[in-house]
Amino acid sequence: MMDMDAVQEEINRDRRAFISKVFQGTIAGSLLLVIPAGAMDLAGIPEQIPGMRAETGPFITRRKFAFVVDITRCIGCGSCCVADRNEYQVPEGNYRTWVERYIIDDHDNVYVDSPDGGLDGYQEPRTDIPYPVRDTFFVPKLCNMCEKPSCVQVCPVGATFQTEDGFVLIDQKRCVACGYCVQACPYSVRFINPVTRTADKCTWCYHRVRKGLLPACVNVCPVQARKFGDLNDRESEVYKILHLPHVVSVLKPGMGNKPSLHYVGLRREVV
Amino acid sequence: MQPDYRSKYNTHLIRIIVTLVVLAAVGIVVRAMVLPESFGRYGHYRADAIQDEINRPIRNGTNASCLVCHPYIRKMHLEGVHRTVSCEFCHGPVADHVQDGRVIALLPKKQGAQIRTLCLRCHNRIIRARPRESIKMISMPQHLEEKHVRTDHVCNQCHNVHAPLMWVRQAREIVGVGEDKS
Repeated sequence: MMDMDAVQEEINRDRRAFISKVFQGTIAGSLLLVIPAGAMDLAGIPEQIPGMRAETGPFITRRKFAFVVDITRCIGCGSCCVADRNEYQVPEGNYRTWVERYIIDDHDNVYVDSPDGGLDGYQEPRTDIPYPVRDTFFVPKLCNMCEKPSCVQVCPVGATFQTEDGFVLIDQKRCVACGYCVQACPYSVRFINPVTRTADKCTWCYHRVRKGLLPACVNVCPVQARKFGDLNDRESEVYKILHLPHVVSVLKPGMGNKPSLHYVGLRREVV
Repeated sequence: MQPDYRSKYNTHLIRIIVTLVVLAAVGIVVRAMVLPESFGRYGHYRADAIQDEINRPIRNGTNASCLVCHPYIRKMHLEGVHRTVSCEFCHGPVADHVQDGRVIALLPKKQGAQIRTLCLRCHNRIIRARPRESIKMISMPQHLEEKHVRTDHVCNQCHNVHAPLMWVRQAREIVGVGEDKS
């Protein structure tokens, strides 16, 4: 006959082990919830886009984001380019966003330059212009987030796509860097990132927006030349700009891509 | 009797059908093996790529994320005319400084000529930017000559970079000079 005490002892030990494991698991699990796993502690930063952190679904609901660049405000300081490089650690010589300088002389010749994408600002005037300068202005460029993106249409592997909330993103794991999208983009915002060896472009800081922060470039602009907001919110600045009388246009409207990036004070010289 | 022209041999048809079925089966299996699991859930793309993009680490914070730990700078910065200037523009991204609530490294401070370059990004009259709001535009070195200081002076010798007019106003109060026109 079996020793009943030994059996009972065995069962008790298993129970104790089981209960202690459950407790350990519970404590570890709740610690994981408390300690943030991300790179930066978001808890201390107030939301810049109210209500975004409550959105948990695959897509943003009830919002239609638009980007407005006011070229009558831009002073060409290059803060946006610095912030963008810091956010994405874009390899040198590639630009997710850049600032172009347009100079028009009094013979109506147009000169465009963008040394290092405007990353260091514009410290020097151009010296190679034979006539007196009539006008100078700066045009920040970034992804136009087209409603009909030609980059998505040409991608042979489904690596670049448009989400239901209107963002055009790149799947870094799927892209084979064939470069079709780089050629298809009418606005030349795409490039092949030499580090990741995939196509890369501005995403309007999708990861920041989904966590309630403004795009890095919008956040740093000292003169509010870059504006980002919700077109479904009638109180937002972008709604007012796009629905009240303003000189508003998009780049290359004839391409039919329907950009969501709008420019205030855009002039016909800008391409 | 009408001769039966129809062939009774149909093995060629069977071969074709079997080949097609095998090819289709192989195709389906290979497709299932090659395509990522979430591909096609919302469209012709991998649905998990959206989450991958969301999980990208945030490296730039906001001014609020810096000023929460730097109360002295906070007071100066928010009261000065540079209140719209981003901390991280001059100092670098907060992710290089703080990770998981802990200071991991100090951000480099701009020194000497770097400061002048930084200031002239916004305040350089010679590039003929047209700011909408009143940004003080100056020419170098004429500005230093006007103020009767040596032309190798760096901007932050007279201007506190966080509140550019703070020292200037304090000095005027002490000396008792009226508001300068420029």
